[in-house]
Order: sequence, then structure tokens, then C-alpha cells
Amino acid sequence: MAIGEYLWLVPLLPLVGAAINGFRAAYAKGEKSKTLTNGVALGSTLLSAIIASFAAWRYGLAKVPYEVVYWDWIPAGLGNVAGGLLGNFNVELGLQIDSLSITMMMVVTWIGFLIHVYATGYMGHEKGYTRFFAYLNLFMFMMLLLVLGNNYVVMFVGWEGVGLCSYLLIGFYYDKTFAADAGKKAFITNRIGDFGFLLGIFLLFNWFGTADYTKVFALAAHDPLRFEGVATLLCLCLFVGACGKSAQFPLYVWLPDAMAGPTPVSALIHAATMVTAGVYMVVRSNVLFRLSPEAMLVVACVGAFTAIFAATIGLAQNDIKKVLAYSTVSQLGYMFLAAGVGAYTAAIFHLMTHAFFKACLFLGAGSVIHGCSGEQDMRKMGGLGKYMPRTHVTMGIATVAIAGIPPLAGFFSKDEILASAFFKRFETLGEPWSWFPLVLFGVGMLAAMCTAFYMFRLYFMTFVGEYRGAAEAGHGAHAGHDAHGHDDHSQGHADDHGHYGGAPHESPWSMTGVLWILAVGSILAGLVGFPLALIGKHQPTYFQSWLEPILLPIGGHAFHFHEAELTMEVILIAASVAVAVIGIVIAYFFYKADPSWSKPKQLAAGAPKLYDVLLNKYYVDEIYGATVIRGTIVLSLILKWIDTNIVDGAVNGVRHVTVLIFGHGSNLVDKYVVDGAVNGVASGAKGSSTLLRRMQTGVVQNYALVMGAGVVLLAVVYLAFEVLGKMQG
Amino acid sequence: MTDPLMLTGVSLALFVIVGAIAVASSILVVSMRNPVHSALFLLLTFLCVAILFVSMGAEFVGAVQVLVYAGGIMVLFLFVVMLINVKALPKEKVFTATSMMGVLMGVLLFIILAIILASGTWAPAVNAPENLRTAVVVKTTPVVDAGGATIQTETVTRDVVGNAEAVGMALYRDYLVPFEVASLFLLVAMVGAIVIGKRELDASEEEAIPEFIAKKVSDEDRLKEVTGA
Amino acid sequence: MTWADLLFLLPEIVLSIGGCLLLLAPVIGGRNNGVAAKWSMLLLLVATAAAIYVAAGAGIPSLALGTLFVADPFAVFFKLLFVVVIAMITLLSAEFLEDGRYSAWEYYSLMAFALCGMMFMASGTHLISIYVGLELLSLASYILAGYYKNETRSTEAAMKYFVLGATSSGILLYGMSLIYGACGSLHLEAISQAVATMAGNQALIIGVMLLGAGLCFKVAAVPFHVWTPDVYTGAPTPVTAFLSTASKVAAFAIFARIFYMGLHSLEPDWNSIIATVAALSMIVGNLAAVTQTNVKRMLAYSSIAHAGYALLGVLAMSEIGLQGVLIYMLVYAFANIGTWAMVMLLRRREYAGENVDDFDGLHKSAPLYAFAMVVFLLSLGGIPPTAGFIGKYYLFAAAISAGYAWLAVIAVLMSAVSMFYYFRLVVAMYLKDGAAADVIPSRQVRFIVIVCLIATLTLGILPERMIRGAARSIAPIVNLASR
Repeated sequence: MAIGEYLWLVPLLPLVGAAINGFRAAYAKGEKSKTLTNGVALGSTLLSAIIASFAAWRYGLAKVPYEVVYWDWIPAGLGNVAGGLLGNFNVELGLQIDSLSITMMMVVTWIGFLIHVYATGYMGHEKGYTRFFAYLNLFMFMMLLLVLGNNYVVMFVGWEGVGLCSYLLIGFYYDKTFAADAGKKAFITNRIGDFGFLLGIFLLFNWFGTADYTKVFALAAHDPLRFEGVATLLCLCLFVGACGKSAQFPLYVWLPDAMAGPTPVSALIHAATMVTAGVYMVVRSNVLFRLSPEAMLVVACVGAFTAIFAATIGLAQNDIKKVLAYSTVSQLGYMFLAAGVGAYTAAIFHLMTHAFFKACLFLGAGSVIHGCSGEQDMRKMGGLGKYMPRTHVTMGIATVAIAGIPPLAGFFSKDEILASAFFKRFETLGEPWSWFPLVLFGVGMLAAMCTAFYMFRLYFMTFVGEYRGAAEAGHGAHAGHDAHGHDDHSQGHADDHGHYGGAPHESPWSMTGVLWILAVGSILAGLVGFPLALIGKHQPTYFQSWLEPILLPIGGHAFHFHEAELTMEVILIAASVAVAVIGIVIAYFFYKADPSWSKPKQLAAGAPKLYDVLLNKYYVDEIYGATVIRGTIVLSLILKWIDTNIVDGAVNGVRHVTVLIFGHGSNLVDKYVVDGAVNGVASGAKGSSTLLRRMQTGVVQNYALVMGAGVVLLAVVYLAFEVLGKMQG
Repeated sequence: MTDPLMLTGVSLALFVIVGAIAVASSILVVSMRNPVHSALFLLLTFLCVAILFVSMGAEFVGAVQVLVYAGGIMVLFLFVVMLINVKALPKEKVFTATSMMGVLMGVLLFIILAIILASGTWAPAVNAPENLRTAVVVKTTPVVDAGGATIQTETVTRDVVGNAEAVGMALYRDYLVPFEVASLFLLVAMVGAIVIGKRELDASEEEAIPEFIAKKVSDEDRLKEVTGA
Repeated sequence: MTWADLLFLLPEIVLSIGGCLLLLAPVIGGRNNGVAAKWSMLLLLVATAAAIYVAAGAGIPSLALGTLFVADPFAVFFKLLFVVVIAMITLLSAEFLEDGRYSAWEYYSLMAFALCGMMFMASGTHLISIYVGLELLSLASYILAGYYKNETRSTEAAMKYFVLGATSSGILLYGMSLIYGACGSLHLEAISQAVATMAGNQALIIGVMLLGAGLCFKVAAVPFHVWTPDVYTGAPTPVTAFLSTASKVAAFAIFARIFYMGLHSLEPDWNSIIATVAALSMIVGNLAAVTQTNVKRMLAYSSIAHAGYALLGVLAMSEIGLQGVLIYMLVYAFANIGTWAMVMLLRRREYAGENVDDFDGLHKSAPLYAFAMVVFLLSLGGIPPTAGFIGKYYLFAAAISAGYAWLAVIAVLMSAVSMFYYFRLVVAMYLKDGAAADVIPSRQVRFIVIVCLIATLTLGILPERMIRGAARSIAPIVNLASR
């Protein structure tokens, strides 16, 4: 059986699950059976994951990439434009089967399944349990559509779909205004990104006549000279979309707020899968990006800047989920840095390893929050290692992994990215810029140090030392987070956990079991990218060879992986391990060796402005609020005002002028001409109807005046363009 | 450069004078306070337009203009004005800021359109005035073809006919369907007047009765009121 | 003229006779408002049959009656769409007429005449025939807008609409007369031939400009939109649905027909004007909608914005652009009527479901209807896989391929803004607790919501038939333009 014959089941099964649970949530009366909900949600996801694995295995046997088209969504041959620019303008719904989509599919299905399992434990006490799983399954469907689609339009469908699900899931605790706002923020910010993506798709149609991956890339690879000129604009448009979805600067603002959603959602959508869609898109479009060194430079710069920017914010956060959120933004920046310096396989490699350890960290954080009765402030934790040993160990492993300590997963992927940045040269961009990747390398190293520091800070503050929340235990769970105002919003989870009193407790096995699996993944997943240079072979890593088919040769020139000399490789590894260790050591001295945390407090007091800026995330939200958001609202209010008061206001303004110019004249005309003509007519008919009075307030006349002005405007526009045309011609 | 449509001599003078009167009286229509005066100026406008029609060679349309508008519609207007007892409009400035803005807008539009017109050619109209006197006449004649079957052949000619006939041909043959649609249009207008105008029988019923009937104003007083004499 | 010629106008003839019968019926059968809707539906059914008969039987495209009207696939597409839209509005109206305060028979008769006018518009190929159709539609709309004659808001809306509509008709006619003066004909094909030889005739340009201004009023495009918010808010909600879909779609039918058939070779002269209007409509419509709290007013501004999107298709002057207009009108009609039906469904007072907070917590009290509303809003916002995406996809692509990338940027950016205010309703329905207005037990309104829901989803997921239909419908016009 060809893979295409059953691959459609992979996305479709979660959709069926979503439909069943969604229907039950909306219409079933009374208490819904949790067993049935679990069966449907977990069953469909597990089955989908198994089929996906089978497909992956079959693909691995032959490694022949192909696309399977199921149906003509927007049929071909109906929209030929006279100039032929748009080609066939057709969109087929099909699935792409190649190493990239298979990799993504495996990550999404398996991590997704594990998080489903975890959520059965975590969400156990929530109302809307069935609805939650319906949304979660719907998300799985959309995400699989996104990664498996065979063209950009299908990717866009999934892209919008995951955005919608993410919105629904962030706002799941809909009794919290903040959650609703966060959901809306996520959706709107993403729409700004999507605007770029959509334009990119149209440009593709315009220049390539199709949005089908295979055809577009074949055209671009075959005839690079023809498309070099347009590639930059196209890639930048696509990258704007990626920035929105993958939370890159300046569109990252929604992701930290998205943590208002339930923790499994944060793990699944806002760490492991959806936010990596932008990376997937850039890597998928690598043929186009390789045509434009300028666009790649932009990608690399934005990635590197986001990596260091978010990492520094992470240094000062006290909310455990916020730290992880900024860490995610930072790690996504790494992936874009990788893509920007041409290390596409490294980007996907990091995406995969990150999915493991970040999912593990988020779920671990969820377990901690669960155990601390909804507390999210790390200053009120501490010493939890004693109370929740399984969470402690697994999260510790993931922390080491993300910090970049060999031989755990994060080390290999991060090292590959840094090495790629180190070796990359943008030759076509001229002398100073071609060396720019060295700067990026430096920034990456710095960000790696920050990462190691804040992750171990999190670890020490949470699991080591004495439990600091006990003092408050008596007041119940709420006191902690209510005090923090809008900044540290906990999730309504706390409501159900008052009965645990003060003592933290370990989470059930459905949660910690998943943590263990992910922790093992965090240890082992890196091995597929083991740099073979270390054992003296100058050839691509296993992972690189696996992904090689998607890196088409452009204009006959094959893609080159960097294959370093042993010495160079060892030096780089040593350097990257060294910065990680430095970060860890600092964190140790700050937060472990000195339980009163006097050094960080001194630092914060020593540079209060800097600390405030970091604590308040560089005030970016405030800046946006004051500029973009307020700007839109003000503009809208102005337009609304103009539209309701339109010429009334204008007339009042102009009245003085008219009175000055015509005032006396019109009085004279009124007095002698008009009055004379109607001499002796009795004045003041009373009782004219409301209607007439309203007619006479001038509203209708003013409206008519606007229309007259409209005609004038059209004439002026015509004239202006005419003049412009004459000047040019 | 001679344009067949270019007006010269007497006809130009006539056009300018009559046109000016038409414009002036239509301005007075909207600026008068007494509805009767407005209506009379409207009559003057209609008459001027009729003269313009005649001077352009469309005697029939000119005559219809006088008969229908000046004769029929104006009388109806005056009738309504008398009947519903509209006295003078409330005394307020005719030249309000809004109307001043309107004037400014009009002047501005005039200037800009003039600029646009000046910037290009103002090509002669394709349609000559003779067209007003011609109509397409289709004659169907039966012809026996070689096989013995009878087929219809149509000959289309443009004949010079009377002005009235040309209009008739256009209205009742060429544009028959739009003409019929116009009748639907009138029907809709009538339905609308009834639907909107009809009042339910309730307390407001009395208000609907014209004041002079309710108060039993004598006809002489009424006439005085309306004309202001 | 023969009887065969008249057959082309069968749907129109059926409707005009039927409209008269609806007026006369109460004389015989008494004024039972409930029955009126049924007879009206029957009339629409007969008209549909007539339209299909013409579509199937006519050797397409045929010119009828001295080339004033044509029964080409383009006209048939719009006629069928009109009938469907009016049928939906008839069902929506039944509820508000049932309480008997307003006469239903005249209402449906006016609706039939309006439909008749729209059909004349769709098949008119001559500016006179288009104009009489337009006026028939407009006059009926003025009266319908003031049908709540006991409500000041409604009569005020009607009066404003009437005065401004008459003004715009004046502008439109002036434009037509200038075109006639320059071209010597009002027939679109003759205009097209005359125009091709008349480069630089500025009187013609002014004529086109004024004609365009008049049409922009009818489609409610900025800066001729000023009447829209007041009239849409004041008119009875089913009439608002009628104005924002049927009336607008009909205006776009003639907009496209006139510009594609008659004025395509003048494109370099009018493109700057239409581009400005489109850009302004998208920007003003969407931004002004952001801060509205009244749903009807918000949707009024959003419909202004939609006129701007659809104008892109006219501007593009390409096959794909015209196809885009047709597709957009179709998908817009369903999503829009669905939205208005939802507003009606949440009836509390005379004007109900009007405030955004009337939708609070609807997700709990009526999950299906809340879901339907989300689908409609997504479709209006152009998000896949709803039908609105397909429409926007065609229009935006047409704009880009015609070299209006800057307009496409505005369009895409502004549709992002539009999600901002559409989502206020979604937030209200899904994320707020509150007593949503009760869903009224009207079966007709519920039925319409479901029909629109199914149509919006089906046309989005299986758009093939719609696209093929649109492609067939534009063929005669595009062939004409390329000649």
C-alpha cells in the first residue's frame, strides 16, 4: 500500500475526535463521561500517531519524496488571465510526503499524544473537560494539515486553523478577563503576521503561477537567475508570517501572554508545535530563501536579536511559566538564526530537540503548579525536590538539556547552530557583511549563557533550598497570585485545589509518566545529530542526510553542509560548553550557594533602572499600547467622529471663514433680495414634524455635501494622476 | 475646425439668455420661503428648458415639457401647497454655512471640471441633430427562394420622419420595455405613498386632518394666508 | 419584437405580474399577514423556474428586444443569486411582519418589484435599461427602509436614503448623458466601440467619473457611503439585510457589466479613481467599524469595507478579477445574510441583537448558533476554510496580477483589522458570561441561519462548482472585452 493511501487518516482522525467531543460538549446533557472523552481524544490521537509512525517507517525504506493529491480544491484551468501571469491559479488539497513533513508529523503526533495523556491528569478537575479535548484534537488536525500540506495555500489553511484553536485554548478559562484578552491578543498579532504570509502566497502565484511546493521549488532551483530579483520581497513577506506565528521580534508579544491558558496548552501549542510552524515554513521554503542572501541576513538578524532579547528578559522573571515562555521565544530565535545562516537541518534538529525538552519543562512546570496549588511565583516555591521527586529529576534533565551540556539533546542542536553561524559567510553581500555571521555567533554564545543561567535559576529557585510557600499555606491558595496584579496571573486551576492545604505534593502518574518519557527523549534525541567529525568522519550527520532531499541543488549546485575539521569542531564544542557552564556556575552562586540571594538583590539594587527594564520586558507591551493600539483606536475614533458629525464639525470650523467672507454679503442678500421678493410673507410655521426638523438640522444636507466633495475628490485624483502621467511620459 | 454643433449668432444668444434665466430661476426655487413662489419659479424653469428643447430642434419634447410639467405637474404642486396649508417656511438664513459650503463645492467642482476639459480635446458629438428626425424603419417582405419556400427578408432603413414620430418610435418601439418598467416604477411610488402615508386609526388621527378643515377657515382667509396678500 | 423576445424577460414579467397580484390579493382573501409570505415564496419559486427556463432554453448569449437586454450567463448568475437572496429575506421578514402592525402584502409586493428591478439591472446592456431597473430597485428600497413607520429611526432612515439616493441618481444620469453626448449611444457595446477611438475626450472622462460616483453610492463605497450607517441602523433588520446584500450585489452586477463591457478601453483613465475609492472604502470602513458598539452599525461599516474589496475585481480588468467579483458577491451574500439573521435571532426589543453585549455568553445558551456566527464572521474576515477566503483569494490575486500590489497590501492589512472587530463578537459569545438575549423561537430565522451556515462552509470547502459557474458566467463579457 502506498503511503498516500492511508496518510490522510493521520490528520483526519483527530478531526473526527474533535467532532465527536465537540458535539458531546455542546449537546450532551448532564455529566459527560470522562472515560468516553478520554477514549475518543486519546484514541484518535494515538491511532493517528501509530499510522504516522508506520508511514514514517515505510518512507524510510525507500526515501522517495512525493506528493499525493486528494482533491482539487480550487480547480485548475478556470482562471487563466490574459497575460498568463497567474498560471493556472489552482489549489489542490494534497499531502506532501518527504523527510521534512515526516519529521514534523512525528513530532506533532507523538508529542501531541503525550500531552493529551498528561492533560487527562492535569485537567481532571476542570469544567469543560470535554470541550477542552475537542479543541485540543481540532488543533492536532490543523497542525497536521499545516505540516503535511503539499502547497502554501493548504499550509495557510492549517496556519489560520492553529491560530484559531490557540485562541480558543488560551481563552479556555473564560471567566478570567485576562485570558480572554490574551487570546484576542494572540489572534490579532497573528493576523498581522498572516498578512505577510498571504501577500507572499499571492506573490508566488504572480511569479511562479502556482503555490505548489514541488513546482515552485523546481522552478526556482532550475532557473535561479530568473527569480533572484523577486526572491527577496517574497521571502520577506513569508518571513513576516513566520515572525507572527513563531513569536519573533517584534511580533513576539502575544506568546508570554498566551501562558494564561492551561499548562498542557502552553506545552503543546506554545512550545512544542504551533510556534515552530514559522521555522517549518522557512525551512520548507529554503530554496527560495537561498536565492536571496539579503532575506537570509534579515532572518538571521531577527533570530539572533530575538534570542538575546528574550533571554535577557527571562533573567528577571519570577513567574515560572513566564520564564519558560521567554525561553521559548529565545530558542525560536535560535532556530531562525540557524535558518538564516543556511543551516536548515540544524533549525529542524533544534526544533525537534526543543520539542522534547521544552514540552518536558512546561509539563514539569505544570506539575509544580499543580503540586503547589496553583502557585506560579518561583519566589514562593523552593525545596520542591523533596516533595515531588519525579518532577524534580525529569525537569532537572530537561534543564541540563536546554542549557547545552553534552551529551544531552540541546547540546548537539545548539552546537550545530553556533558552528554554522561561525562558518557561514555571506559572500555575495560584499566585504563587511560577509563576516557578519561572526557577530551572530557571538550573540548566540551570549544568549546561550543567559539561557543556562536563567534555566538553572529556575531550577534552583524551584527545587532546591527550603520551601518558601509554607508560611502562606494557611490562607489557602489564592493569596499568592492575587497579590501580583496583572503581571502574574495564575490560571483558574487553583480553584479546585484548596483541599491540599499547604504542603506541595507529587502529581499523579499520568503526568509524571509523560515527564519521564519526555526526559528520556531529551537525553537521546540529540544523538541523531551527532557530529561525525568527532569520530573522524567528514560527512553530514545522520539527521542532515535524512533531511538532505529537501535541500534541492540550485542551478545545478548542490547544497553544502559545513564539515569542520576535528580541531575546529572540538574548539567550538569547548567554547559552547564553557559558556553554558559559566551560566550555570553563576546561577549556582547566586541562588544555590547563598539562600538569601543577596548577590542578585545587590545587582538589582545596584542598577535599578536596568532591572526595572528587564522586569518589565523592555516595556514593549506598553510601547505597543501607546503607539500601535492607541493609534488604531484613535484613528478609528477620528473616523467615527468624522462620520457621525462629519460636516457639522467641518461646517462649524469653516463657518467663521464663510462669515468673514460672505457674512455681510449674505446678510444683505437675505435682507433685500430674498426678503424683498417674499415681502410680507408671514413667518414661523410651527409644528413641523420631527422628521422635518431632523431634515433641517442639516444632517442630510451635510451628507449630500460630503457626496459633492466626493465627486470633487475623484476629479482631483484623476487630475493628479493625469499630471503625474504626463510628467513621467 | 468648424463644429457642426457649434452655436452661432442668434441661436447662441438665445441659448445664453434662456439658459441664464433657467439657472437663476432654479436657484430662486430653492431659496424662496413661500412655497407658492417657489412653485412659480419652478414653472419658469420648466418653460426655459422647453425653449431650449425647441431651439435644439426637438419641438415635440419641448411641447411635452410645457404640457406635462408646466401644465400638469405644476398645477398639482400648487394644489398640494394650497391643500396642506404650508405657510412660509420658518424664517432662517438661506445662506447658511452649509449652503455656503455647497456653493464653494460647486464652484470648486466647476473649476476642476473646466481644467479637465481644457486639458484634452472636446471632440464633436457623434450624434447629429438630424437624428432627432430619423427613425430606423424595418420593413419585412416575404421572398420566395429557389427551393420554393417563403423566407422573410428584412430591410433596415433610416428614414427622415417627423419629430413626434421619431420620439414615438423611440419610446414605444425601441425603448418599449424600459418604458413599461417606468410604469412599474410609478406603481411602486404610489404603493409607497399609501404605505407610508396611511395612518392607523388612533389618537393621532385628528392631526392628519388639515388645519383649515378642522378650524373651518374660510376660503378667502385661506387664499390670503397662502398668497400673503 | 416577437413573443420569443419576450420570453427572455420571463422572470421579470412573472415578477411584475406577481407583484401586482400580491397587491390585489388582500382584496379577495383578506389581510392575513401570515399567508402573504407563503404566496410570496410561491412567486419566487415561479420566478426561479422562469429564470432557469431562460437559462436553459436561450441560445446563450442572445440579445433580446433591440439589444436593450441580454439573457447571457452573467445575467442568469445574478438573477439566480437575487432570487435566492430575496427568498431568504422573505423568510427573515415573515417574523417581523407577523405581529400584524405592518402590512405584509405591500411589503412583499415591493420586494417583488425590487427583485424585478434587480433582474432588469442584471440583464441590461443599455444604460437606459440599466437605469430604469436601478430606479425601480431604489424606490422600492426607500419605502422598505421606512417600513417601521411608527419608529422615528426608520422613517428618518428612509428619508435620508431617499434624498441622498435621488441626488446620486442625478449624478449618475448626468454622467450617462455626458457619455451619450460623446459616444452617440447608450448601448454598452456601442460605447465600447466608440470609446476605443476617442482617446483624450475629456467630456467622456467626466461622464465616466460621474457615472462611477453614482454607482459608488449604490454599492456604498467611500466617499459616497455617508448614508449607509444611518440607513442600515434605522431600517428594519430584514430590510437592512436586503440593502446590504441584494441591493449591493445588484449594484455590483451593473458596475461590473458597465465597466467590463463598455468602458474597458478607457481603463487607464478611470483606474486611478476606482483605485482611490477602493482604498478609501477599505480603510475608512474597517477602521470606523473598530470602535462601534452597535452591531448593526458595525456591520454597516464592514459592508462599506466589503464594497472596497469587491471593487478590486472591477479595477483588475481581468478574467480573474471579474470572476472574483462574482464569487465574492455569492459568498458575501450568504455570510452577510447569516449575520443579519443572527442579529434578528437575538431579538429583545423592536431593534434587537443590536449591541455587542447582546451576544454575551451565547455559546452556552445556543452553541449551534454561536458556532454559525463564528463561521459567518470568519467568512467575512476571509479566513479559510470558509467561503470568504475563496472570494478574497480571487480578488486579492487579481489586484496583484493587475499591478495593484499596493492596494492588495492595504486590502490584506485591513482584513487583519477587520478581524479585530469581528472578534469582539466572538469574544462576547465564547469568552463572556452573561445573559445573552434569548434566541427567538422563529423557525424561519433559524432555518436561514442553518442554510447560510451550510452554504458558507460548503462553498469554502467545495468551491469547485461555484468557481466553474463563475467562470462560465463571465465568458461572454470577457470575450467581448478582449475583442
